[in-house]
Amino acid sequence: MKLIKGEIISNKKIGEGLYKMTIFSPYIIKHSLPGQFVNIKCSSESTIDPLLRRPFSIHDIEPDFKVFSILYVLKGTGTKYLSKLSSGDIADFIGPLGNGITLQENENNNFLLIGGGIGVAPLFFLAKTLSAAGKNVFFAAGFKDNNFLLFEKMLQGLKISYEIYSENGTHGKKGMITDLVIERADDFKKYDIYCCGPINMYKVLQNIFSLKSIKAKALFEEIMACGIGVCKGCVMKFKNGKDGYIYKTICKDGPLFDLMEAIFE
Amino acid sequence: MNSNTGKGLSVKLGTIELKNPVIMCSGTFSSGIEYNDLYDVSMLGAVTTKSFSLVPREGNKPPRLCETPAGLLNSIGLENEGIDFFINEHLPVVKRSGFTIILSILGADAAEFTNLATKIRKIEDDLLAVELNLSCPNVEKGGITLGSIPDEVENVTAAVRKILNIPVIVKLSPNNNNLAELASRAKNGGAEAISLINTIIGMAIDINTFKPKLGNIIGGLSGPAIKPVAVAKIYNLYKEKILPIIGMGGISDWKDAIEFMLAGASAIGLGTVNFVDYNAGKNILEGIASYMGSKNILNITDIIGKVKVR
Ligand SMILES: Cc1cc2nc3c(=O)[nH]c(=O)nc-3n(C[C@H](O)[C@H](O)[C@H](O)COP(=O)(O)OP(=O)(O)OC[C@H]3O[C@@H](n4cnc5c(N)ncnc54)[C@H](O)[C@@H]3O)c2cc1C
Ligand SMILES: Cc1cc2nc3c(=O)[nH]c(=O)nc-3n(C[C@H](O)[C@H](O)[C@H](O)COP(=O)(O)O)c2cc1C
Ligand code: FES
Repeated sequence: MKLIKGEIISNKKIGEGLYKMTIFSPYIIKHSLPGQFVNIKCSSESTIDPLLRRPFSIHDIEPDFKVFSILYVLKGTGTKYLSKLSSGDIADFIGPLGNGITLQENENNNFLLIGGGIGVAPLFFLAKTLSAAGKNVFFAAGFKDNNFLLFEKMLQGLKISYEIYSENGTHGKKGMITDLVIERADDFKKYDIYCCGPINMYKVLQNIFSLKSIKAKALFEEIMACGIGVCKGCVMKFKNGKDGYIYKTICKDGPLFDLMEAIFE
Repeated sequence: MNSNTGKGLSVKLGTIELKNPVIMCSGTFSSGIEYNDLYDVSMLGAVTTKSFSLVPREGNKPPRLCETPAGLLNSIGLENEGIDFFINEHLPVVKRSGFTIILSILGADAAEFTNLATKIRKIEDDLLAVELNLSCPNVEKGGITLGSIPDEVENVTAAVRKILNIPVIVKLSPNNNNLAELASRAKNGGAEAISLINTIIGMAIDINTFKPKLGNIIGGLSGPAIKPVAVAKIYNLYKEKILPIIGMGGISDWKDAIEFMLAGASAIGLGTVNFVDYNAGKNILEGIASYMGSKNILNITDIIGKVKVR
């Protein structure tokens, strides 16, 4: 990890309250793995509002241009600040942080990526990496509506297959992405599965996968302060032994964990 | 740092000698190992470790963090791997890296502090001092519950003092109104310095769900929001001339550090700022040095407590 001031190459609105920011950083290109994130300062140098940095997954890297991107939704003060930045401005961030996804030992050829909402952001980087490694990738993405139409355009640029569901039927098939997983669960047994999305999606997936004894990895979120494992603020409960639990930090022990190990309360 | 920055920066708190007044607060820097990837942590006056207890503590129920205007509410609940982990895992690394370490410890009562001190005795040569956390608002036993009772402050300090040869620092909470009394009792017990302030008790509620924003309901507030409170607490305690003070609470740059020293702090502690500016230690140290240059201050000790109130 390194503390970096990188030039913003572009910051485009690609949907309602949905933005893609591209930042110049040879260091991030060289050192990051899918699933890792950066912790970005979301206030100008002389101000402290908001005080804490905000974590964002690495969404894409483009080694030819030495740039990486984040895909983010407008939530509050921090993301509002980011949305106002433009090309030529400087982004102050630390990264890459957390444990990413390494492929070396992976013998499997088939990968299923399940993304819900903004959870598709880190999975795009994973899909790109996997397809470059010659793997078969199936990307299952679920959204509320058609706000992620341009995301589909990005997927079309990769050599992968995909399916899109939206809750109101305005983008892809109507329904929840978990409907697709239920329907095809038996097929998916031979896939390596990675998910990223809201807790409600994880709860449903846990149920489906435990019935079918399917393994899956997932990327988790918690409110963070340090982002580097020192404050113990970003913990979530995970299974430990038969009936026990243990708190693990999302920023340092994660954000990648076994989905089946997570305990949601 | 330029070659002049080392000059005139050293400070003394009782028998505690620091090459410069910049100390890292407990719980916001771990043992410093992570930050050493970003800058040379050995340049700091000292690193105060996370508070370690006799046995590992799992900490409080999440969510443990909540940002408030210019502040951070936390209810970590002193999650730590236990003193043996520090001794076996962190100490060899921090020694090799040349950090100056103040070991923060937390116990439920004098007996537990005694047991902790007994364990620390065999490594005390590797430590600059030990800091007794008598001020955490996030634990049921020990912490502020112990640290607001004058007799306990004296007993605990004396118990540790009896066992260890290294200096003892007592960290007090701003949630007490009798800080002078508590500090004198710490002095009676053999403490050489007071760390002030720990976090201020606070709470935040989600108006949509009606639920507290922290899993533990109540937490401790840190960051720039608490700075004026810290300055006043330090100013008031300094006037009593009981013990030298390590001042902390909301410092975010070198200007704040100078302000704390003017109020009466002999050294300053950096906490939450480490999450905002990962290089805070280095930056603030350099800032203090250039302020001294610009003001022709030869020794930083010359400004301690020098606020002009009339
Ligand atoms: C590892 C990780 C990766 C992430 N990747 C992305 C991404 O690629 N794209 C994206 O849009 N968002 C991502 N998020 C969520 C993103 O960090 C929050 O949406 C953002 O911090 C909101 O900040 P704000 O000031 O706009 O909102 P506010 O609501 O004002 O934030 C208040 C506080 O809550 C925290 N917070 C709010 N929502 C979340 C959340 N969902 N997760 C964690 N902390 C939160 C903020 O950091 C801040 O401390 C990620 C979170 C984590 C932990
Ligand atoms: C996340 C977090 C964890 C902390 N953990 C400890 C601790 O273990 N022991 C302790 O004495 N103080 C602890 N503190 C208090 C700090 O050391 C410091 O006294 C306080 O945060 C005020 O300084 P600041 O505003 O610069 O952060 C913690 C503070 C924070 C924010
Ligand atoms: S954010 Fe500090 S430990 Fe994860």
